[in-house]
Amino acid sequence: MKKNFLEINNVTFSASSQNKINNVSLTIENQGDIVCLLGPSGIGKTTILRTIAGLEKNNSGTITLKDRILSSKEIQVEPEDRNIAMAFQDNSLFPHYSVFDNIKFGAERNKNKKKGLEINDIIKLLHIENIKDKYPHQISSGEAQRASLARSLLSNPDLLLLDEPLSNVDQNFKEEIQVRLKQILTEQKITTIIVTHDSYEAFYLGNKCGIILDGHLKQYDDPYNIYHFPNSIEVVNFLNRGTLIEAKVTGENSLESNDLGKITGDFIKHYPKGSNVKLLLQPEDLEHDDASDLKLKVVDRKFRGTNFIYTLKTSSDKLISVFVHSHHIHQHEIEEKFGIKRPIHIDHIVCF
Amino acid sequence: MTSLLSACFANEVNVFSSRHYESDIKLYKKFTDQTGIKVNVISGKDEALQKRILEEGKYSKADLYITSDAGNIVTFDNKGMFQNSMSPIVEKLVPSNFRGNNWVSITKRARILFYSPDRVTRDDLNNLSYEDLANSKWQGRIVIRQSNNIYNQSLVASLIFNNGKEETSKWAKGVVNNMSRAPKGNDRAQILAVAAGEADIAIANTYYYALMLSGNKGAEQKLAAKKVLPFFPNQNNRGTHMNISGGGILKYAPNKDNAIKLIEFLLTKEAQQHLINNTFEYSIIDGVEPHELIKNMGLDFKQDLETDIASYGKNQSDALEIMLNAKWK
Amino acid sequence: MGNKINFWFISSLLISALVAIPIITVLGSFFEPISDYYNILKKTFLIDYLTNSLFLLIGVLFITFVIGVGCAYLVSFYIFPAVNFFKWALILSFAVPAYIYAYSLTAFFENYGTVFAILNNLFGEGNYNAYIPKFDGLLGAIIAISFSLFGYVYVLTRASFHYQSQNLVELGKNLGFSKKRSFFNIILPSARPAIVAGLSLVAMETLSDFGSVSYFGVSTLTTGIYSAWISFDDLTLANRLSSYLLIFIIGLFILENLSRKKAQFHTSSKGGHRTKTLIKLNGYKSFLAFIFCFTIFLISFLFPVTQMLYWTIIFPQHLENLDVFKLFLNTINLVIISSFFLIILAFISNYGNRVSKSKLLQILNTISISGYAIPGIILAVAFITFISWMDSNIINYFEMGSIKSFFIGSTLGLVLVYFIRFYSLANNGIKSGYAKINYSIDEGAYLLGYSKFKTFKNIHVPYLKNSIFLVSILLTIEIIKELPITLILRPFNFETFATKAYLFASQDLLEAAAAPSLILIIIASFFILITSRYILKE
Repeated sequence: MKKNFLEINNVTFSASSQNKINNVSLTIENQGDIVCLLGPSGIGKTTILRTIAGLEKNNSGTITLKDRILSSKEIQVEPEDRNIAMAFQDNSLFPHYSVFDNIKFGAERNKNKKKGLEINDIIKLLHIENIKDKYPHQISSGEAQRASLARSLLSNPDLLLLDEPLSNVDQNFKEEIQVRLKQILTEQKITTIIVTHDSYEAFYLGNKCGIILDGHLKQYDDPYNIYHFPNSIEVVNFLNRGTLIEAKVTGENSLESNDLGKITGDFIKHYPKGSNVKLLLQPEDLEHDDASDLKLKVVDRKFRGTNFIYTLKTSSDKLISVFVHSHHIHQHEIEEKFGIKRPIHIDHIVCF
Repeated sequence: MTSLLSACFANEVNVFSSRHYESDIKLYKKFTDQTGIKVNVISGKDEALQKRILEEGKYSKADLYITSDAGNIVTFDNKGMFQNSMSPIVEKLVPSNFRGNNWVSITKRARILFYSPDRVTRDDLNNLSYEDLANSKWQGRIVIRQSNNIYNQSLVASLIFNNGKEETSKWAKGVVNNMSRAPKGNDRAQILAVAAGEADIAIANTYYYALMLSGNKGAEQKLAAKKVLPFFPNQNNRGTHMNISGGGILKYAPNKDNAIKLIEFLLTKEAQQHLINNTFEYSIIDGVEPHELIKNMGLDFKQDLETDIASYGKNQSDALEIMLNAKWK
Repeated sequence: MGNKINFWFISSLLISALVAIPIITVLGSFFEPISDYYNILKKTFLIDYLTNSLFLLIGVLFITFVIGVGCAYLVSFYIFPAVNFFKWALILSFAVPAYIYAYSLTAFFENYGTVFAILNNLFGEGNYNAYIPKFDGLLGAIIAISFSLFGYVYVLTRASFHYQSQNLVELGKNLGFSKKRSFFNIILPSARPAIVAGLSLVAMETLSDFGSVSYFGVSTLTTGIYSAWISFDDLTLANRLSSYLLIFIIGLFILENLSRKKAQFHTSSKGGHRTKTLIKLNGYKSFLAFIFCFTIFLISFLFPVTQMLYWTIIFPQHLENLDVFKLFLNTINLVIISSFFLIILAFISNYGNRVSKSKLLQILNTISISGYAIPGIILAVAFITFISWMDSNIINYFEMGSIKSFFIGSTLGLVLVYFIRFYSLANNGIKSGYAKINYSIDEGAYLLGYSKFKTFKNIHVPYLKNSIFLVSILLTIEIIKELPITLILRPFNFETFATKAYLFASQDLLEAAAAPSLILIIIASFFILITSRYILKE
């Protein structure tokens, strides 16, 4: 049986008595995989990282890394012996050392291992050359986060834990850093768990994503699957990507909705004919068609650069969103009628 | 031969002294120059020194314990920490009532009255004795220091010796009644109080007066001292209360012979002269003239040589009890 | 993990045990038979001890409150001539221990003293003595102690005022309060925890005072304890008296602790820490403020320094005879040895707390820092009692030689008792340094593979260099001034400036006490100035 790189078996993470995440089981199969953990703030994602790092105790379940038990009821390996590096949310740079010296600390651990990144490469990649001789109190929080990231990367650990690593980085900068980060992680084959609240970031960086909701690991899957095949209404609501509308199953590949009429497509999960379900409708599932006889009222319009998002109100007062390419011939104003192509065809039908 | 031998060992003598005179140190140096014996002086307050000697017991390195006031010496002797400190020389030089088997006096002083000639008449002074100070005519006119002071305790002890406990108890209450202020300050402060007009009679040791007159305490105190005059009480009976500085050799002294040599040295004319010239005390041996300022106070007063000064120690706790009961602060 | 906890526990336990020795010894005296002296004492002077201690306390608290709060108020809220100078100059009062202040009072005001000399020189002969006020006895002690301790109230109150939001001042204005009303109704109450903390410290030190009350002949519990031990040779009695004093002190200790915690929460976070706009005083108000501060500075510092300087000059022989170098060396010796152990153990204890988070450890920690509240004289006498007890029991058991000489009258014993007394200072100094290091920094270090020891060595220690330095300086100031412990436990022929001054003063050689007093003040002032910035920031 193939051994997993990291195994978390039935662990309950608890930061405090209120904040618990129960019975989490997840595995990272291969070295070099990147897992992103998503969830609302305050739920305890940081606790998960801290527990894996050995800074918190877990009372149940086991955590195994490379076939070695790190945490269990009997065993608790000290953080410094786990070969796990962590970049904290508040960066925790050593205040009395320069940024460069701080990062160098990471290299010290790596001394005996295979050659990884050079310190100057990392500094360049993360765009922190201009602050490398400054002290932590002299740099911005975004720069501090990148410095902290550099330090952790340099230590070439078996497992790297990143807690909101780019939350303070400027928006225009962020994507570029994300790209570089992914580049480094993939090239160096550093197994990583990243906590973030930015779902785009999670989908980009992660091979797998875990959604933490309501004290549980709700879904753990490829980003594509999570987006397209969310396994529960809670996940849908969390990702905030679509609307749920009432519909009735009318056949193997079809439903009927009072608001939108007939809808066809492939069911992921089959429901018996006649059952009432909630259908997940995402903005890209609907097509705009002025010629259509299905017309809904526009209540809002957002300009997103490449496209518009129109918010429409159905006859049952539900709000649904539709993408329209920016270059579409005309635009619709609020209160106007907006046509949707009929019948609606959705490739993957997700119902609950 | 012995001096050759003693020169081979660490030739020293350890002196624990509560006397605080610089001149003593210079004198010890002279001793070292003459004999080659090094004098290690450890100074401090009496109670502390005694405590230390007692605590260390047979591990104590003290050879000689020198202190002021016979009361101190005798009570300490009664704790059994002295050994026989006599030698023929010592016995010859020091009168017998100023020594015991285990201790010897080195200098003398008197505890006398200092009065303001402006406010105390010749009549008042006629045959004045310590005992008279309890008389109500002196109400509000007397200053004396606190009861915890050894000089006072010895004075009271000698009164017990002469007049008995009950009489002395009454006397103490009378004196407390006559105090012009609650006891505070040292002996010199009492003299200053009289000079300043706060009282008419102060009780203090003789050398303090001379010290003030010498100018060593500053021009102002010299000025003050000139405003008071000394008076030696009890001239018509036993004489003025005398007290001593002295010492004894300690029981477990490691350098006993050197200690005896030092004592004998301190009793030589030269040493005595040095001592009393600097400290304004009286010499314990015959034939040594006191300092000019002491001479000016009058040398032909009757010293109380009848009272056994060992009684200062014997009666000390009674004296303390009497003073406490009299509310002598 | 288990082994590591044991280490912290053991060292914290040891320290706590050390601190507990005097407390237990003192309480143990209740099980010993009472001597006769106790009964005599009860009839005559025990009431005096208690009432004197009480009056002393009330007098000092009142004066230090007025001076401390008054000065703090003026320098915190107003601009007037030399205000920046007074800010730190008023702290110099810490350089003058109460007993030296007492000597200065006597020298200055006694019959035919310095005042007389001044008047005599200025106006010729005259009967000045009758009109010169004599500050001695209880009044003298109150004054001496007040002016040497008001600094505690000043510093703490000033810190509280400093961190008070600008809003408070503006609030008063908005409500139309006069400055006086603003002060009494808004500003003063908000600084209450700090003031109470300062006054509690003052109270503890006052009850602890030995040098000035013994010099002025005021019988208090501390002089009683000393007499019982040294004159009556009655350790049981001494410890019994100590226990009365301790009861007083425990109450104050609790009060001070609670207030200090509250004071931390009182720094308002709303409105942030905007620098206050100081009010510029004009005209006679500015003059009054200046006079108030100047007078306090004059009395609390210039006066004793000048008096001591004057006597050193007119009696130079005493300075010549003083072996200044040896005294200095002795002091430095004590400081170095004490600081060394204190700082190391403070580190260990703080680190243990940081790493272990155990409740028991925290309790032990609290016990170990309570030593500062116990008066020095109780510490010394209880320590001697304990050693003597151990000695007689150990000798019986093991037939060894006496251990007493190792501990009594030795540098070791002295350092041990200093340790009990000053551990809190070292511990809090290191603690406040540690508080500035976020715990996540430790975690970051562990997760870079740093062992606990390496983290300590490479991260904590360099970062705490400043705290170490500061603690050493503060310890130096305290040890230089320390009197009762040093007096009782020092090796023989081992003097510090403090003990030398005391011995001279108590042997009727007050003018000889001037030189060591002056040197002590100068050294202490020097160190205080170095740390003044830190003290003021607190």
